[in-house]
Order: sequence, then structure tokens, then C-alpha cells
Amino acid sequence: MKFLGRAGAFALLLIAGLGLAHARGDAKRGEYLSKAAGCLGCHTDAREGAQPYAGGRAIKTPFGTFYGPNITPHPDAGIGRWKEADLAGALHLGVRPDGAHYFPAFPYSSFTKISDADVADLWAYLRTLPPSSQPSRPHEIWFIFRWRLLLGAWKWLFFNPGRFVPDAKSPQLNRGAYLVQALGHCGECHTPRNFLGGPRRDRFLGGGKLADGARAPNLTPTRLKKQSDGDLKDLLQTGVTPDGDALAESMAEVVRNTTSQLTAGDLSAVIAYLRSLAPLPDEPK
Amino acid sequence: MMLKRLTAAGFAVVAFVALDAAAQVKPEILVKQRQAAMTLQGKYFGPLAGMAQGKVPFNKDVVARNAGYLDVLDKLPWDGFGENTKGEKSSALPAVWDKAGEFKQAQERLENEVAKLVQVSKGADESAIKAQIGAVGKSCGGCHETFREKK
Repeated sequence: MKFLGRAGAFALLLIAGLGLAHARGDAKRGEYLSKAAGCLGCHTDAREGAQPYAGGRAIKTPFGTFYGPNITPHPDAGIGRWKEADLAGALHLGVRPDGAHYFPAFPYSSFTKISDADVADLWAYLRTLPPSSQPSRPHEIWFIFRWRLLLGAWKWLFFNPGRFVPDAKSPQLNRGAYLVQALGHCGECHTPRNFLGGPRRDRFLGGGKLADGARAPNLTPTRLKKQSDGDLKDLLQTGVTPDGDALAESMAEVVRNTTSQLTAGDLSAVIAYLRSLAPLPDEPK
Repeated sequence: MMLKRLTAAGFAVVAFVALDAAAQVKPEILVKQRQAAMTLQGKYFGPLAGMAQGKVPFNKDVVARNAGYLDVLDKLPWDGFGENTKGEKSSALPAVWDKAGEFKQAQERLENEVAKLVQVSKGADESAIKAQIGAVGKSCGGCHETFREKK
């Protein structure tokens, strides 16, 4: 009896230990981070009622059309066979579990800055999603770009892997910088690119050009100084300016999925950080 | 006979001049007028967007009233996008004229979504009303995506 009791206690300990090892990340926090990182947008089809994170969204770029893959834990269609290290490799290094490079349509240039703890939480959250058997759609790109080795050259030129490093600024500005640069990946649209699709770091958030020739506005104080904190907060929560003007859908979606979901503190941090940037002139038309 | 013909010709000239005058509203005035119609849509849509997001207290009567206003306002801007306004300074993108068919569809989408909001706001289903406000907002943003410079 005594022995059984000990064995039972041992088994309990073992289970508790396994449980702990399994729950390294916090899925609840991960859910919030997934919103801050806007994963949903690219990894969910645009049609009404599409299963979240099951992939299918078309992302048009000057190099072709990419389709966000299924990232639900389905063993074949999704990332069910991945380990946490595979997610870290994807986000931090832009590599698939088999070692091939991802196309930078997947914003690992920004996600490389995500902290290790946040990757663990994101991983824990992704594990909780209902698996979908919807297969990921192949990208439609010019044949030469399909040669993924070329991406090694692109990464060598333009990709600087490494986690976000807080500098001596206030904790609020550091938090804002982390949200904008790492999770929010705002620069993917709002920073101009050179002809090879590399971000022009000297023009960070100075306003970019989208695939259809439309412009993503300058987010430095050059433009934002015309709006009060309250106006910006309203805009990022409702998608509508104080006079009722509606944002274009590409940003309106970011508002729905990401900025309106941020805590009040995080939203203020984002705005404070944008205000702290050096003002850059608008991109020439 | 001669006189009759002359009179007919005279009428024709007068009619032509009158038509021409109607078509020749100055482009800068057309732009101003269509922008005014857009501004008023913003005025009556803005509070509804706030309600849908829970930032402004929900008031069904205001939704129903504003939906009625929008149901008229959403038809007013479009004849202001004449070919002669192409060169005017505005946020309208060339796609307005280059993809005229799509532009028309975007207008109809807005008009349909607003008409639905008019219907839904007659009922008492708050979440349905809020969802329809969202659908109207999406039709605004959908059109601004392709046809207006990003602000």
C-alpha cells in the first residue's frame, strides 16, 4: 500500500513534470501576441467564413503572388509535425524545418526580432488551434524566383538576424519599438524597398509602395504630427478618422486584426514610439 | 419654309448649347461637390463606426436616422467623377477611370450594404446592426483601397 502510494506520488510528479515541460509557453499570452503580430491576415483565406490560420490568402508582390500557408497543427496540411525549434527557425532565421529558405513575403526580417519567450508563447497558442486539412496553395511566381537558393543571396544582402535589443530609451518607447519593429512588422509595407525588394533601412517607416502601385503612408512625425494622440488612437481602434473617413481596406484589416486588439498601454507605446522617430520626408511620387 | 428651317436650326443650336453647358460644369467644382458628398458620408458614418466598436454608446435611433441619410448620400458622389476631372488635384487615383467597371461595382456594393443597414436598423437585433455597420465600413475601405490615395 505504502509502495503503491509512493509509486502513485512518483507518477503524479512525473506527469506534473511532463506537463510543465510541455507548457513552456503560455497559450493565452501567445494568442495576444499572435494578434499583435497579425498572423491571421496572411494565414487565413479572404473568403467569408474561412477557417482561421488554415491558409490561402493571396499576397501580391512585384515578384508574384504568394499564398499564406496553413499553420494549424494538422500533421500533413499544417505544421502538426513541427517542434518549437522549427517555429523559432522560421521566425528568427527564415528557414523551413528542411533547411530551405522562406520567401521574404513571410516577414522574418521583422520577426527575427521577436523574443525567445514570445516565440514559446506563440508556439503554445498555435498548438491549441483546431487542425485543418486544407492544403497550402503553391506560390505563383516567376520561375527564376522559385529557385530558393537565390534567397540565400537575398538574405545575405538584406537580412540581419537577431533579437530586438532595448536601448536606453524609456520602457514605453522600447515596448513601442518592439511592437512596431518585431511583432507588428509595420515596416514591411510602410518602409520603401529597393529594386530587389530589400528594405531601405535609412528610410524606415518613411512610407512604402504596395504591389498595386498604391502607397503606404509615411509613419514618421512628418505626417503624424498633424494628428493628436487621441485621433491616432481612435483611428487605430476603429479604422475611421475623427471626421468619419474610412481607411483603405488593407489597413482597415490590420486595425481589426491587430491594432484594435492591443491593450491600451501597448497602443500608447506604439504611438509614442512613432512620435519619437526622426521625421523623414515623404517618398517622391 | 425657309423660315421654318431656320427656326428649327436655331432651336437645335440653342438645345446643343444648353446641353453643353450642363456637361461643362467646371471640373474643379465637380471635385468640390463630390468631396462634399464624401465628407457628409463621413459625418454620418463616423459615429456608427464608433458604436460598432463599442467606443460610442449604442443608439439604435441614431443608427436608423444616419442609415437613412447615408442611403441618399451614397448616390451623390459618382457623377462628380467626370472624365474632365482626371487632371484635377484630388486623392482619386487613375483607377477610377482605368477600371471604371470595378469602380461602378464598388459603388453598388456600398449602396447595397447601406440599403441593408437601413433594413436591419429597423429591427432590434443590436449585434446584427453592428455587424452590418462593419459591412458598410468594409465597402468604404474596399473602394478606398483601389481608387483613392492612401492617407
